[in-house]
Amino acid sequence: MKRLPLQGRTLALLAVIVPLLALFIYVGLRSGPLAPVTVTVVAVESRAVTPALFGIGTVEARYTYKIGPTFAGRIKQLDVHVGDQVKAGQVLGEMEPVDLDDRVRSQDSAFKRAEAALREAQARQVYAQTQARRYMQLFAVRSTSEEIVSTKRQELQITNAALSAAREDVARTRSDREGLVAQRSNLRLIAPVEGVIAERDADPGTTVVAGQAVVEIIDPKSLWINVRFDQISAAGLAGGLPARIVLRSRGGQALKGSVLRVEPKADAVTEETLAKVTFENKPEPVPPVGELAEVTVDLPALPAAPLIPNAAVRREGDKVGVWQIVEGDLHFSPVKLGASDLNGYVQVREGLKNGDQIVTYSEKALTARSRIHVVDHIPGVSR
Amino acid sequence: MISLAGRDILHAWGKFVFTGVGLGLLIGVTLIMAGVYRGMVDDGKALLDNSGADLWVVQKDTLGPYAESSSLNDDVYRTILAMPGVAQAANVTYLTMQVRKSQSDVRTMVVGIAPGKLGATPGWPPYLVAGRQLTRGHYEAVADIATGFKLGDRIAIRRNHYTVVGLTRRMVSSSGDPMVFIPLKDAQEAQFLKDNDAIWQSRRRTEAKPAFNRPGVPGLLDAVIASQSTNAFVNAVLVTLKPGHAPNEVAESIRRWKRLTVYTRAQMEGILIGKLIATSAKQIAMFLVILAIVSAAIVAFIIYSLTMDKIREIAVLKLIGTRNRTIAAMIMQQALALGVIGFVVGKITATFSAPIFPKYVLLTPMDSVAGFFAVLLICVLASLVAIRMALKVDPAEAIG
Amino acid sequence: MSRKGIRIESLSKRYGEGDAAVFALKDVNMLVEPGEVVGLIGPSGSGKSTLLKCLGAVTDPTAGRMTLGDDIIYDNGWKVRDLRALRRDKIGFVFQAPYLIPFLDATDNVALLPMLAGVPNDEARARALELLTALDVQHRAQAMPAQLSGGEQQRVSIARGLVNHPPVILADEPTAPLDSVRAMAVVRILNDMARKLETAIIVVTHDEKIIPTFKRIYHIRDGVTHEEVGEGRGFE
Repeated sequence: MKRLPLQGRTLALLAVIVPLLALFIYVGLRSGPLAPVTVTVVAVESRAVTPALFGIGTVEARYTYKIGPTFAGRIKQLDVHVGDQVKAGQVLGEMEPVDLDDRVRSQDSAFKRAEAALREAQARQVYAQTQARRYMQLFAVRSTSEEIVSTKRQELQITNAALSAAREDVARTRSDREGLVAQRSNLRLIAPVEGVIAERDADPGTTVVAGQAVVEIIDPKSLWINVRFDQISAAGLAGGLPARIVLRSRGGQALKGSVLRVEPKADAVTEETLAKVTFENKPEPVPPVGELAEVTVDLPALPAAPLIPNAAVRREGDKVGVWQIVEGDLHFSPVKLGASDLNGYVQVREGLKNGDQIVTYSEKALTARSRIHVVDHIPGVSR
Repeated sequence: MISLAGRDILHAWGKFVFTGVGLGLLIGVTLIMAGVYRGMVDDGKALLDNSGADLWVVQKDTLGPYAESSSLNDDVYRTILAMPGVAQAANVTYLTMQVRKSQSDVRTMVVGIAPGKLGATPGWPPYLVAGRQLTRGHYEAVADIATGFKLGDRIAIRRNHYTVVGLTRRMVSSSGDPMVFIPLKDAQEAQFLKDNDAIWQSRRRTEAKPAFNRPGVPGLLDAVIASQSTNAFVNAVLVTLKPGHAPNEVAESIRRWKRLTVYTRAQMEGILIGKLIATSAKQIAMFLVILAIVSAAIVAFIIYSLTMDKIREIAVLKLIGTRNRTIAAMIMQQALALGVIGFVVGKITATFSAPIFPKYVLLTPMDSVAGFFAVLLICVLASLVAIRMALKVDPAEAIG
Repeated sequence: MSRKGIRIESLSKRYGEGDAAVFALKDVNMLVEPGEVVGLIGPSGSGKSTLLKCLGAVTDPTAGRMTLGDDIIYDNGWKVRDLRALRRDKIGFVFQAPYLIPFLDATDNVALLPMLAGVPNDEARARALELLTALDVQHRAQAMPAQLSGGEQQRVSIARGLVNHPPVILADEPTAPLDSVRAMAVVRILNDMARKLETAIIVVTHDEKIIPTFKRIYHIRDGVTHEEVGEGRGFE
């Protein structure tokens, strides 16, 4: 009787062992360092790229008028508060005159005295003149000596000079007086332009020094954004380019604007280029000065050129390039890159042509000897 | 001749497989422990590889930037860039902190990367698994998938919000925290600027100091507060070298002329693996030894008990004329079969459970091969006890 | 003495020394010719098991001589070197209990013996099957011992004892678990085997059913044997 080679029990055991062994071999080959690297691949295409620059800035007023006294004093009154709308020439407040009024009065008296002195000088001069003329006439008929004529002439000259001096004195005291009056009027703080009070730095009763601002006025119509761009990514920044502004308090709402000018002086410490960007339409409601804003400046579109995603750009040794798939093999191609846009695409000037297959994402760093396995998207990364 | 061991296993296969699975789980744990150690070493190496640097320039006499905190002025990189042999020098900041997303937060290492030429600037993530690299100078982030963030997520770091635009894999700090890359200026601000309350307090304190708040000098207070709110420090400068220049030479010249501390790749590895991981490595080594001893004890006990169950049959076999070495071979083959089953189960368990562990577990083929032979050796030694018992049995016990 | 058969002369087995010495066997003489089936009867404690162990070359006697055919096995302290091979090739055992290897099926349990002796597997299994057929258990040839009834197990065990065609067979209560029909069958087989292969068979038993079949019987009591002529009846 021939013995059956396989019993039921052996079959059951094989049913356990064979899958176990298969699993074991699978585990050995597909995981760990022996496994191939999963990559995604994209083809190089030619497209036009719209580069853009991104910077952040703060909203500022173009002109800030800091109104304050020209000399030290105490604030007598302040009629405006932050947020008040003021007109050009409006009186905002007043400083204490202290002794100014007295000084003006003293100067008035000095002026009047100078005027009196002038009249005296004039009288003397007229007299000297008449005398000089009479003695000249007498000298002509030889009724008097030459010496007396010269004396009278000299007196005339003396009185002429005294008259000039008296006139200048009057002018001086008048100017002094006008100066003091001007200062007296400076005690009043006057708004130079129409605008809004932005700050009230000191309250009535406070002593302020000359030059210290008491109120600050800004013109809300003249708001602009002081933007900072990293110097490395500021190529092509120029006045007149269109810009999109996103204020921090209004995230998601992009306002239109344009670059007014690029500042001639950049920030050497932070390595940033500064620029001023204005709003096309005054934003309603007016954003407060100092609010942060993100500004994107669109540069003119460039003609179509081979474009690759910037995730594909890698470094191998000292060369920058991409991993290209040539006939199923991995090959590092150095490239020269051109302009890039804010969405992560960068132009290739040299090194690749349209249709080349390049690796964009990989789950590990690649080497020339890596085995690869091309998929649609890297496993483990949720969409 | 039929295989006695084989027939016995076939007959009691349930018991064998069950025991084998139990042993396998123990072996799996052992393999994973070895994998944890290798993972820690690999984390350190990945950190160094991913920074893309050939040299690390740090504050003088520190072990930074990973093992110790280091602080450099952020304009130091310009002088390093001018040194011979240097291809690129870029600032970098590292800060381990909690990053918030909606209601949850994640412990990450926030890396501030300097703006520069795409692909050539050290510090940038060398490869991505989704999305793109940073293009804007502010408020964008590239995160590692271990953080759990997805493309498009808005995350909060200190006071600013960042949009996740790219994802990476295996970008971790030496302690296994996943990395989030943000622009350098934002990172400097994050490292320095505290929350609003603290800023208010500091401003008030400055205003209260008469030296800074002089009425005769308007603008002084503002200038002082402005200078207090900027951070001009970075943690390290990463340097890549031009081809043909030896790292040690360039490092030495930077050390001598710039009076900074410079580490080459080899030295950084020594610091990371020698200082950061050393204690954990010893811990794991002890664990491995204990597990090996426990495994040996278990195998010995199981084989002994299996043999004792058969002691009568062994006596009969001896009586009817079976050679001693045939009986010994039967016991040893059973022990080896148990070891093989255990190893297969252990390797499979280890491979499938490795990704579940929170830190990286690296299972190398060499470890598996070494483990396999260790298991076989343990089984052979463990079976000697049972074999000795079996050989001492008196065949006369079979007769009445 | 012919080439087979077993002979014991003045066999003694002493346990202990001097005054405390106990003699399990005292000057036992026994002779079984090839082809003979003799009975060995004695109460428990009579030294029956010890005698069996000496005959089976499992225990060494302390004095006396044992010869198997022309080969001297024991001679007053001397013993042949490879007792294990002797047991495997020259002595067949049929135990009181089946003692089948639980992880081998019936055929393999029997075939194991020739395999151990180097016989190729197919031939060994063929021989096993022959014996199983002779003992009327061939229909259970593939069953595992746990699946066999007590009687079937015993028959398989007997088959194992016979499979190597040894010149001597020691059977310890072979028919104890069997009914009379089967018991007679066993005795018939033993006698057939003895006659055909010139095997010397010693059967230890106290089964009343088969005692009358023996032509010669050895009685043993307190380590001493004496011979008796049996009835020698036929097997029905």
